[in-house]
Amino acid sequence: MGLGPSTKETTLHHFRDPLLNIISKDKDIDLIGIIVVGTPQSNSEKYYVGRRAATLAEAIQVDGVIISVDGWGNSHVDFANTIEEIGKKSIPLVGISFIGVQGKFVVTNKYMDTIVDINKSPKGIETEVLGENSVSEYDCKKALAFLKLKMKRKKE
Amino acid sequence: MEREKLIKRLIIKCFDIHSVNISKKNGIDKNKMLIDKDCVNQLMQQEKDIKNVNINIIKPREHNCRIDTIMDFIPISTKVLGRIGEGITHTLTGVYVMLTGVNTKGVQMSGFGSTDGYLKDNLKLGCPGTPEEDDYIIHFNVVLKGDVPTTRELSLVAHRACDIFIQQFRNILKMKDGRLADEIHEYVERKSENKKRIVVIKQVAGQGAFHDNIILPAEPSGVKGGRSIIDMGNVPVILSPNEYRDGAIRAMT
Repeated sequence: MGLGPSTKETTLHHFRDPLLNIISKDKDIDLIGIIVVGTPQSNSEKYYVGRRAATLAEAIQVDGVIISVDGWGNSHVDFANTIEEIGKKSIPLVGISFIGVQGKFVVTNKYMDTIVDINKSPKGIETEVLGENSVSEYDCKKALAFLKLKMKRKKE
Repeated sequence: MEREKLIKRLIIKCFDIHSVNISKKNGIDKNKMLIDKDCVNQLMQQEKDIKNVNINIIKPREHNCRIDTIMDFIPISTKVLGRIGEGITHTLTGVYVMLTGVNTKGVQMSGFGSTDGYLKDNLKLGCPGTPEEDDYIIHFNVVLKGDVPTTRELSLVAHRACDIFIQQFRNILKMKDGRLADEIHEYVERKSENKKRIVVIKQVAGQGAFHDNIILPAEPSGVKGGRSIIDMGNVPVILSPNEYRDGAIRAMT
């Protein structure tokens, strides 16, 4: 499944998630909510939950989406699918994921053009050191800046 | 003129801990935390899959110790008023609980990749999900019975045991006078009409043992009262920003 210690988001990580801190501090942005979606085992279920997430984002009429994934490898199947479903609805989107060298996407699509890589290890691998490849404030600032740009372009 | 409508308010009061010591009674008193190690095994009598639990206090910068795989880092927080996402929460800073797990056959309680070994080699300090250099770590090590298969349920047993332990301190923390807090953070959710509307999607694990998450427990970052994302069929659940920052997710990955 590819969920190693270096990218693992602990309970403490969720409690003080930099993604939330950065987005909610931004004066141009209204953070509507956090959609938590699981990563099921079977492919049909992966597509099912991804479509639900995209429909939910569309229903609440958002201008943009930031999607992050806790894990890589098999989890990238879900990640790619959810991004595609959101992309098809013409909602600007930025992804956040561990990629490095080891976590190259197993599947891709045309909507995966803006992904922030959270790898911090020099070799680009799952180092098995807890927290090493976790999302930092810098990653979140970058993701938000990209999203703002994409939302602006869509308006034009 | 920008129009904003106030919708919800969450206040998080932080109590900073400067020292943690073993004592005959659990307590939190003026930046000091006291832990009764013996209370733990009494609390665990109900858990038939647990052989025993060990509690160690790891002082700042004393990370040259051997540990079993790290299952989680958990803040000690409790609701004083309201439910998760609203009202008042008390939380401890300067100290976090580290849950580690192994079974009597030596199998580490982890999915892909284990962090057993020397703590200093397996932990990057100062990340959002890990303690700072100056923080105390309460090391809660669960030893599970070796003849029990490592299933989702077994992972839950370890997290539940740790939650029962933390609840002892939540009950003390609840009674602390909020006016004596070291820091107070107020989070107000405003509905705004002229800003860009954004939603964050967090894709979390939901494949089985060591790939599970509990959503909206009764206490912040707790286990009890929450629902597993697997049991919910992994379908999307929407949280308000204040629910999320108030400890709505317990990561069991």
